[in-house]
Amino acid sequence: MIRSAVKSASELCGQSDLSRAVDEFATCTSVELLQGTLFEIRFHAPRVAAAAAPGEFAQLLVDEGQVPLLRRPFSFSRVDISEGTVSFYLAAVGRGSSRLRLLHPGDRIRVLGPLGRGFSLPSSPGRSLLLAGGLGAAPFPLLMDQLIGRGEEVIWLNGSRSSSELYPDHLLPSGIQSRLIRTQDGSKGDPGLVTEGLPELMGVVQRIYACGPNPMLAAVYRSWASEVAAGHTAASLEVSIEAPMGCGFGTCLGCAIPLAAEGDESGPIGLCCRQGPVLPAQQLNWDQLLNQPAHLG
Amino acid sequence: MTMDPAVSLGRGLVLPNPVGVASGTFGYGFEAERMGPIAHLGAVYSKGTTLLPREGNRPPRISETSAGMLNSIGLQNPGVEVVARDYAPRWREWSVPVVVNVAGAGITEYVEVCERLSDVAGVAGLELNISCPNISHGMDFGTDPKRAKALVEAVRRVTELPLIVKLTPNVTDITEVGRAVEDGGADAISAVNTYLGMKISVKERKPVLPGMGTAGLSGPAIKPLALAAVAKLRRAVELPLIGIGGIGSTEDALEYLVAGADAIQIGTANFYRPGVSAEVLSGLIQFATDNSLQSWRDLRWSD
Repeated sequence: MIRSAVKSASELCGQSDLSRAVDEFATCTSVELLQGTLFEIRFHAPRVAAAAAPGEFAQLLVDEGQVPLLRRPFSFSRVDISEGTVSFYLAAVGRGSSRLRLLHPGDRIRVLGPLGRGFSLPSSPGRSLLLAGGLGAAPFPLLMDQLIGRGEEVIWLNGSRSSSELYPDHLLPSGIQSRLIRTQDGSKGDPGLVTEGLPELMGVVQRIYACGPNPMLAAVYRSWASEVAAGHTAASLEVSIEAPMGCGFGTCLGCAIPLAAEGDESGPIGLCCRQGPVLPAQQLNWDQLLNQPAHLG
Repeated sequence: MTMDPAVSLGRGLVLPNPVGVASGTFGYGFEAERMGPIAHLGAVYSKGTTLLPREGNRPPRISETSAGMLNSIGLQNPGVEVVARDYAPRWREWSVPVVVNVAGAGITEYVEVCERLSDVAGVAGLELNISCPNISHGMDFGTDPKRAKALVEAVRRVTELPLIVKLTPNVTDITEVGRAVEDGGADAISAVNTYLGMKISVKERKPVLPGMGTAGLSGPAIKPLALAAVAKLRRAVELPLIGIGGIGSTEDALEYLVAGADAIQIGTANFYRPGVSAEVLSGLIQFATDNSLQSWRDLRWSD
């Protein structure tokens, strides 16, 4: 395990700016229950809201009573700076998220953020493909909002196992150029996986942003890499990934992610919270990433 | 408050107050420095540092348990050269004393790391980690009193820096190792490191964390166990004691001072409450004022 000083993760990929993070006592303003276990929870947290950028995340202290002990990291889903609110889109599947679903307007919890590195935004307008699988839709409404505000054309490709897991239309911003739906069971939109038909789409955009389960992202990456190699697209690909996370600001070293070094399959270990959660796809070692669990639950 | 909150750990190491942050929960202090003030701290105990850089274990590395967490980081660190050359000059600018936690695979490595740090400005002391559960042989020194004593003696010969020895609780009798490191020339003892633990995934029918599946348990779950270890050590050794294990509030810190600790380290709570150390310190000061303490030792349990 001892390795001589090669390029470090932060030299290779940069790192998050921790000076922007604020641990704010936030007041829950709404919990909107959606299909199944899905819900969107909103907090009044004006200092966090003022600093939040697309793809960045906050660490929510669900309970000060030590169960669950660790905070839960969620990407900012929607932000309203004028109202000072931040919203998170999640599913009540684990101990943390299930407790959050039971919060009521007026309840107060600590929200630490913004943390991590988010999506890069274009300097001049073009066309972006935003590709989400299931809960991976979470960071995209905020990203869309900012892209559309910059004059970008947005193609929204939302896939899930079934229609009950799709991101709800009424929470999306207006101005989306085109919307494509894929469900594995065919209950809405085209039947199949989000990766089907991707090569054609990749050829007509300058930027691709993807978020979803790691196996889906790996498939997107492979499709993209072969299109780039074949000269069929020059689009960039940024992915937002997950890893079991402790602190969110780089001290627990828990959220290790395998990076790819240039010309070397096995790069250094990075941290999802400092080098990610959004990374250019080529900076990740996808084979190793697929062999690790996604989150604490 | 009229009481001086400072704490002496021996060999000239005087902490401005008893509230420190534990090794492995605060990096080398630079992340926290970016996020807020750290000047209030009594001490920063750095991430465990080895002779050469270590990449650490492959993920997954952490898992949550009831009121606790398991970690198997595997001593990821940049190596002593980077610490001495790049980090220490930054610590010189701080008012907070920085104690470097030192780990090694054998006596030679511990000695070399300590020697390298000995005359480095910005390093206020050394904490020998003879208790890491996540590298092979890391815990051997901490479970065998003879080897623990030999290690402390060897390090003592190469450094004049204050020497703290961090003990593992994964022993039958922690006081045997405590007495051994006292005999070996340690200036203070910190107790305890993590407890060996495991989490099982029934779905996968195997441990959640890789390898043998064992990892270090920390957090509020271990506080009663760690308090008992500190209280036992207090009756066995004369050295200053630094209590560690599940501290996340003023009340927790006070309990350790009553049990016999001279100072404390906040660990896992730094992960979910980055501002916790300032709150604990102001709570302690308030308590001292309200109760007209002359010294933290007034709190100590004696019967």
